[in-house]
Amino acid sequence: MAAPITGLLKPWTPRLFLVRWSRYNPYYLEPEPRKELYNMPETELTTEQKEERELKAVRPIKATTNSTTSSVFNDPVLSKFVNMMMRDGEKILARGILTQTLESLKRKQVEKYHKAPQGKKAEIECNPYAIFHQALENCMPVIGLASIQKGGKFYQVPVPLTDNRRRFLAMKWMITECRDNKNRRTLMYEKLSQELLAAYSKEGNVIKRKHELHKMAESNRAYAHYRWW
Amino acid sequence: MAPTAVSNKLKATHRKQFQELQEAGEKGERERTMTLHRLFPLRLRQTIAQVRLLHGSGCGHQLEEVAMEPELRKETSVFRTQVNDPACQSERHLGQYYTLPTSHLHTIFPHGLPARYQQQVKTFNEGCVMVRQPALELISYLKAADYSKPAVRYLLYGLKGSGKTMSLCHTIHYCSTQGWLVLHIPDAHLWVKNCKELLPSSYHTSRFDQPIEASNWLRNFRTTNERFLSKIKLRQRYTWTKRESTEKGSPLGELVDMGVSRVKSSSDVVGAVLKELRLQAAETEESEGFRLAVAIDGVNSLWGRTTIKKEDKSPVAPEELTLIHNLRKMIDNNWCGGAVIATLSQTGSLYSPSSAYLPKELLGEEGFDSMDPFIPVPVSNYSEKEFESCYLYYLDRHWLQHPHSKTDEGKKEIIFLSNRNPSVLERLCAFL
Repeated sequence: MAAPITGLLKPWTPRLFLVRWSRYNPYYLEPEPRKELYNMPETELTTEQKEERELKAVRPIKATTNSTTSSVFNDPVLSKFVNMMMRDGEKILARGILTQTLESLKRKQVEKYHKAPQGKKAEIECNPYAIFHQALENCMPVIGLASIQKGGKFYQVPVPLTDNRRRFLAMKWMITECRDNKNRRTLMYEKLSQELLAAYSKEGNVIKRKHELHKMAESNRAYAHYRWW
Repeated sequence: MAPTAVSNKLKATHRKQFQELQEAGEKGERERTMTLHRLFPLRLRQTIAQVRLLHGSGCGHQLEEVAMEPELRKETSVFRTQVNDPACQSERHLGQYYTLPTSHLHTIFPHGLPARYQQQVKTFNEGCVMVRQPALELISYLKAADYSKPAVRYLLYGLKGSGKTMSLCHTIHYCSTQGWLVLHIPDAHLWVKNCKELLPSSYHTSRFDQPIEASNWLRNFRTTNERFLSKIKLRQRYTWTKRESTEKGSPLGELVDMGVSRVKSSSDVVGAVLKELRLQAAETEESEGFRLAVAIDGVNSLWGRTTIKKEDKSPVAPEELTLIHNLRKMIDNNWCGGAVIATLSQTGSLYSPSSAYLPKELLGEEGFDSMDPFIPVPVSNYSEKEFESCYLYYLDRHWLQHPHSKTDEGKKEIIFLSNRNPSVLERLCAFL
């Protein structure tokens, strides 16, 4: 009897707090999802880690994103790729496409492995994760172009890229290539697995695009001194 | 000695042994020798060959395994067994994988295996089935049954993805190797939904025919039971149209060919085939008799609802479909000389909740009364030993590629995520 009345007496608070989107007070600490750090005994900790532990006892901690896991199979590069593939916030669909891609990559390679003669077996790479990482590395450009204004005109100046920017460009090119240049009836995971295998052996449209960027940068060598950083 | 000289000498000894084996006259022996050659190192093959010559064939394999050195046994027979004949498998082989010979794969299972398993067979270049307790139990019942009495009905039930269809396929393999005639309906749910062509039946006015499904099934039936098609003769004359009829005494193969070519009357041909087999299975096993195994996957669709609609948009009841009507007659236990092995399936079923897996829930009142009395065989998730075996098999076939999946931590995580459910485990390991 008393419960419904007391519900009206307390001040209204919303049921769902979207904490991650708000700006956190710098007082809040980052969450730590890795299991190994919690299993370490007292003796192995350095002074900084001991201080961090004491701080965690008193300070509040930020909420984690939904995609943080303490799983051994967690890969930050793959998570980034999934986020870039995601459209309209449908992470489940994007993750599903990625797992299907990895599966189809593995199937093709394992089939080739089992049908290959004994001598050729060691050359075939069956690990889809290794293929993915190597393919991405092969697609990453070494040098990029920046649009710099000098004397009223804009010049494309060759510029060094940070690691994050290179990784972003490789992933972006891969995804746009698979979205645009495929047959209406081919599914995304099929096209992605074909492109990844091609990039692994340094062929394919994404590698071509990287080479074109390098050629543009090479041809614009003269403007390199327009860069001031 | 130079390596080529050694291998040449060994090749010569192997050739001699091969010839000896050929004289013994066993094709299966050669196949098993090939698998042994593939798996064991050179030195020990000679020991094995000598042992094999001493002991007999068939179920004498078990003696060979004892005679082999213990280290070898640990390496290979923990998750694999060389006993590829379902009749010789026993509790000793629980949890171990046996290989389906490729010829059997194409003849016995043109349409029976689950889709993901077919993909796995293509990838691994071999078809391996795990020997599990429900299938062994079913096979022991089939061995012990009295076939002069009416047909016994067995029902495999269990949670989604626990291995009911694979246990059914294992049992069908046993029946085929024992020389039974196998009537395998791979998925009865496909007959009650998504029908592109629905014709009114010529034989009975209120029923409907499904020509495409019936002709597909007849084609696969022909592939599975080639050797029976010329032996079984029809007992009755069947008239299809004013000008076409199949005479009494003609072989079953003619009837099946007619059904495949004349698609319009294929559903009635299916009905005729079922009737003939039901009548003739009851004979004794002297020269003409055979045993009939009716294997139906997704038997709960026979008594549920359909999504097929008539032209006036009213739904079609299952008994108004010729194929379903004839199949129901097969499930009745008024014929002798065989067995009915059925599987419940919620996955393809219509208008049933996804948490339902027990016979009473999925069959409904009508279905349960028709199937009653039956022998229920529960199929559960993998036990610890079976999971170990599956894990080792995937490792052996280079399927688990993620470096962390081979560690203990990763293995514990896989067990946690899949709960040892066979299909969830398979889908999980597919991208790991």
